[in-house]
Amino acid sequence: MKAGDLRRALRDALMIGALLWLAVTAAYVRDRNKDATQRALRHAQAAAELIAAGETPPTPTAAAAIVGAPVASKQHGFLRRRVAHTAAGPRPLGGPTAPAVDKLLYDAAGRFDKDGPFVAMLPDGSERAVAAVATARGPAIAITAGPEPRAPVPWLAVVGHLGLMLVLVGVGAVLGGRARGVGVAAGLATWAFPAYLAGGPGLALAILAVAAAAGWAHATGATDRAIAGVRAHKVALSFLAPAGVAMIVLVVVPFAVGLALGFYDHHHGRWTFVGLANFKRILTGDGHALSDPLNFWFILGVTLAWTFVNVILHVLFGTLFALILRQPWLKARGLWRVLLIVPWAVPNYITALIWKGMFAGEYGAVNSILSGLGLDRVSWFSSWATAFSANVATNTWLGFPFMMVVALGALESIPKELEEAAEVDGASSWQRFKEITLPHLKPALGPAIVLGSIWTFNMFNVIALVSGGKPGGSTDILVTDAYRWAFERGEQYGMAAALGTIIFLLLLGWTLIGRGLTKGDEEARP
Amino acid sequence: MIRGLAIAALCAAAAACGRSDAAVTVWHAYDKDERAAIEALAADWNAAHPERQVELVAMPYDGFGDKLGSAIPNGNGPDLFLYSQDRLGDWTAAGVLEPIEFWIDDATAARFTPEALASLAYHDALWGLPVAVKSLALFVRTDLVPTPPRTTDELLAMAPALTARGSFALAYPVDDLYAHAPWLHGFGGHAMDGDTPTIATAEAVAAAGFARELVQRKVVPAEADAALTATLFAEGKAAMAISGPWFIADIPAGVPYTITTLPTVSATGLAAAPYLGTEGILMSARARDKDAAIAVALAFTSDAAAARRAERAGQVVPNPAAYRGALADAPRLAAFRKQLAHTVPMPVSPAMRAVWTPYKNALGQVVSGAASPAAALEKAATDIATYARTEGAR
Amino acid sequence: MSVRKPKLPVIVAVHALLAIGTMAVLYPVMLVVKKAFEPGRQFALSPSPIPKRVTLDHFRALLSARGSHGELAFLQHTISSLAVAIATTVVGIALSCTAAYALSRFRFPGRKAALTSFLVVQMFPASLLMIPLYVLLHELGLLNSLSGLVLVYSTTAIPFCVWTLKGYFDSLPRELFEAARVDGAGPIRIFWTIVLPLARPGIAVTALFSFMTAWNEFILASTFLTDEGKYTLPVMLKSSVGQFSADWGQFAAGALLTSLPVMALFYVVQKYLVGGLTAGAVKG
Repeated sequence: MKAGDLRRALRDALMIGALLWLAVTAAYVRDRNKDATQRALRHAQAAAELIAAGETPPTPTAAAAIVGAPVASKQHGFLRRRVAHTAAGPRPLGGPTAPAVDKLLYDAAGRFDKDGPFVAMLPDGSERAVAAVATARGPAIAITAGPEPRAPVPWLAVVGHLGLMLVLVGVGAVLGGRARGVGVAAGLATWAFPAYLAGGPGLALAILAVAAAAGWAHATGATDRAIAGVRAHKVALSFLAPAGVAMIVLVVVPFAVGLALGFYDHHHGRWTFVGLANFKRILTGDGHALSDPLNFWFILGVTLAWTFVNVILHVLFGTLFALILRQPWLKARGLWRVLLIVPWAVPNYITALIWKGMFAGEYGAVNSILSGLGLDRVSWFSSWATAFSANVATNTWLGFPFMMVVALGALESIPKELEEAAEVDGASSWQRFKEITLPHLKPALGPAIVLGSIWTFNMFNVIALVSGGKPGGSTDILVTDAYRWAFERGEQYGMAAALGTIIFLLLLGWTLIGRGLTKGDEEARP
Repeated sequence: MIRGLAIAALCAAAAACGRSDAAVTVWHAYDKDERAAIEALAADWNAAHPERQVELVAMPYDGFGDKLGSAIPNGNGPDLFLYSQDRLGDWTAAGVLEPIEFWIDDATAARFTPEALASLAYHDALWGLPVAVKSLALFVRTDLVPTPPRTTDELLAMAPALTARGSFALAYPVDDLYAHAPWLHGFGGHAMDGDTPTIATAEAVAAAGFARELVQRKVVPAEADAALTATLFAEGKAAMAISGPWFIADIPAGVPYTITTLPTVSATGLAAAPYLGTEGILMSARARDKDAAIAVALAFTSDAAAARRAERAGQVVPNPAAYRGALADAPRLAAFRKQLAHTVPMPVSPAMRAVWTPYKNALGQVVSGAASPAAALEKAATDIATYARTEGAR
Repeated sequence: MSVRKPKLPVIVAVHALLAIGTMAVLYPVMLVVKKAFEPGRQFALSPSPIPKRVTLDHFRALLSARGSHGELAFLQHTISSLAVAIATTVVGIALSCTAAYALSRFRFPGRKAALTSFLVVQMFPASLLMIPLYVLLHELGLLNSLSGLVLVYSTTAIPFCVWTLKGYFDSLPRELFEAARVDGAGPIRIFWTIVLPLARPGIAVTALFSFMTAWNEFILASTFLTDEGKYTLPVMLKSSVGQFSADWGQFAAGALLTSLPVMALFYVVQKYLVGGLTAGAVKG
């Protein structure tokens, strides 16, 4: 009995301890890097002060000098010469063959002139620090040579700590009863101490909370039950694991990142937390009028109109063609079917570009046909209504084959006897359509409409390639607007992510509603 | 540390990791002749410097500026790149560029014309070396128009005869501010006054009205982008075109044409003055080997290299020494150099970036008759102000 | 639908209307084909679908164009597209077979949640995940690499493969499994020796559809790949008709060469797609 207790206690402690160890290690590494940065800055400062005092700085310094005042060139005000005074004598800074290290001195002197004395890390990612101190002859500048050596990992302390944890857990297990849970909790809680040193009180408190929860789970047998459950289904779960892990890495993580990014503002490479500011900006229309494309509600309206009109046209044309193709007296049915699904077969970005060419101003095919018929040429992309129509025409062309195929499948499932019997009974064509055809179409078209509406809602290629949002961004839909926030309005990734979250919520709502609606239909299938 | 492990693991598995082994990576958006010229220069450098290779990467022009602005601050961009100076203000604020005046002495600076070099200076530092100056000029098909128009009235007078033949007199992208700028400046207007946009001035309204008149009288097509302009000119459906030195490569052999300066605006007597853009080779603030990068930049802008670019690609190079010998009389280069006297430097203020799209929308509305010039430009001014306000608050 | 045949004029009229409708539907495609063979960079000046002159110049220019390193550009792009599409398909199928089988044949706690989550994930647009994926790859330095693109494509490939394969496994007869279990075979043996061979058609269809989706994908590729040498075919096609220089002839020739293989594949798989719809969701 006691051996089993000990084994289970150790198992739980090691399992959860591994996670805690990861968290503490990450905090430790970050802390170590911060420490290295601090040391680099201190070295640079000390070296600069030594130079200012006229002494030589210690060796791990890439460059150190007192830099004289700039002398501007007579022809070009922005060309300046400076001189570096080192122990080896004065050296001019600059010129076509000057080394890049000298440029660091030059840039630092320039920054000193603007901002005064400073110490900072170099912005080129080389982990070197630069410091500038004022002297009578000009700023004394020192630059460290390279990344600071990191403090060695205290292996002895790690081993000792691990031992302490195992001892605490073991003692608890041997004592039995309540002590088991306490032992596990105490053993894991020892991680809080290095966490506090490396990551501060926040991380330490979090670890204490996890340790307490683990102790409680162990004491109540929750972990035992969970592991038994996994073992019972281990085949199924192991089969699920590869795709599951891939989904977590490729979908859950980016999705969570996307959610989080919505709360930040991105400007020139820097991220600042702004809370709900992005969402507020979007949902209040960012101060633009309702008819302005930069207002979220305008784009939402356009997107809803776009989806609605398209789906109706898809279903109309799809069912119309399906009904015609279903006529038993139709010749060459196979041929018509093959030809009519060509729009679905051709990659849609190619046809979107063709349609854009067709709607082009003076010489596009559509305008040529119009003028051939004696009508006026239309400038398709200079007014909202015509640009929207151009997009709708393209997407209808792209989308009706899918509805046609679905409708065909549904129509094929209608038993012939039913139709014959209805005709014998003297029912008119309209009655036959309403009582027989429609009830068979609805269950198939239902899910197809939900799917089709989601695809249309997100149809990026057509909007981006045909009208490109013209005129003035007013034919943009939500997904293309999000794209523009990220890639065309100064890399405002935060706004784009927030808009993405809003789109996700809208789609989620519609999917749930749609599934609710179509479930009813499925039950009513004849 | 975790990041480093992740990168190492993924790089080991990946075929390509983005950064190459070449010492200096140069991004450009050149095509055809310009691309061939720059590739020849790179090949020469690589032959002479086997230990410090240069790698050219061709990017499509659409979105090139955006890609640079987003790649470089995260360490993913090139070491050098060829771009015009219009984003200078924006990029210096974002820390995208490395100031290079450190490496330039008076002797080197003397290679270039002072204006070209100064156009790449901003806030008391130098941000690149000038590679070519670009402005629009008037391309004229001599088979359709024997004498180019000297004033806009002459242009309008030529139109009916050409329309009767089924051609436009002139083709250019009417809604693009860059192409519309000659008229804007010809009517005395300016898009920017220092750091302030001056959009809805009376002169700008007059210029927009002139553009509308051109479209309504069928002098120019209502909707032409750069590609259509080239096609119309090549096929004789437009007798003239407003475009830049890059246009030369788009004209098929056998089309007789000449290049000349843009006409004077009759209403004001001022010359139609296009923007003067300086294309430069700029250094990324995150360049890995800055010594090698500046050496490559100096090599690509040397007098000899400039002469080869001028010869091969028709670039108007800002190196006076390159125009000795045969190039001195090259007619196409001469035409663009003559136009240089009537140009307005492209504004580099960061505020300019907000101007392009709203102005394009406004011109589109004006030209299609959907809005009056005054109303459309007022709306553009409001849009620009809103953008500047939200941008400035960040 | 009437079982009696209507009068002859009606039949003729319907056939004629159908023919006109089909011609209208095929018109844009005919324009591409025409443009591929008609000389000139600009899109047809006349709307007729018959070319005035025929030339193979566009194909010649397309196939012989060289990139910035001297390599054959079209070949390079085809290889990039092939590599990405094959890798995505392999990753998708390899990781999904077992998961689909588990979801189809086993009952375990969390199964319903897993099913719903795979369905829900599949329904959301790639363009939503694009931004966090872009930022993530940006920070990891994996932008502008084909392997980064495969990772991104797998995001949508795996849920689709799981859902479709599950539908297919569901349709396999239960008796097979009962018989094998009676014979004493463990679940892994059953999977390898019985299920996989039987599921070959379903796996083939899923693989083909995965391949086609990755081959035709345009927006993610154009966002994540900046280096022209790494472009896949869709991005190359789009960049040949950019705002500043458009070569519609080259575009049309490239479009034909790019889409004919996948159109052939599409016709092979489209029969199975409607069946797939009743089993789950099918992506367009």
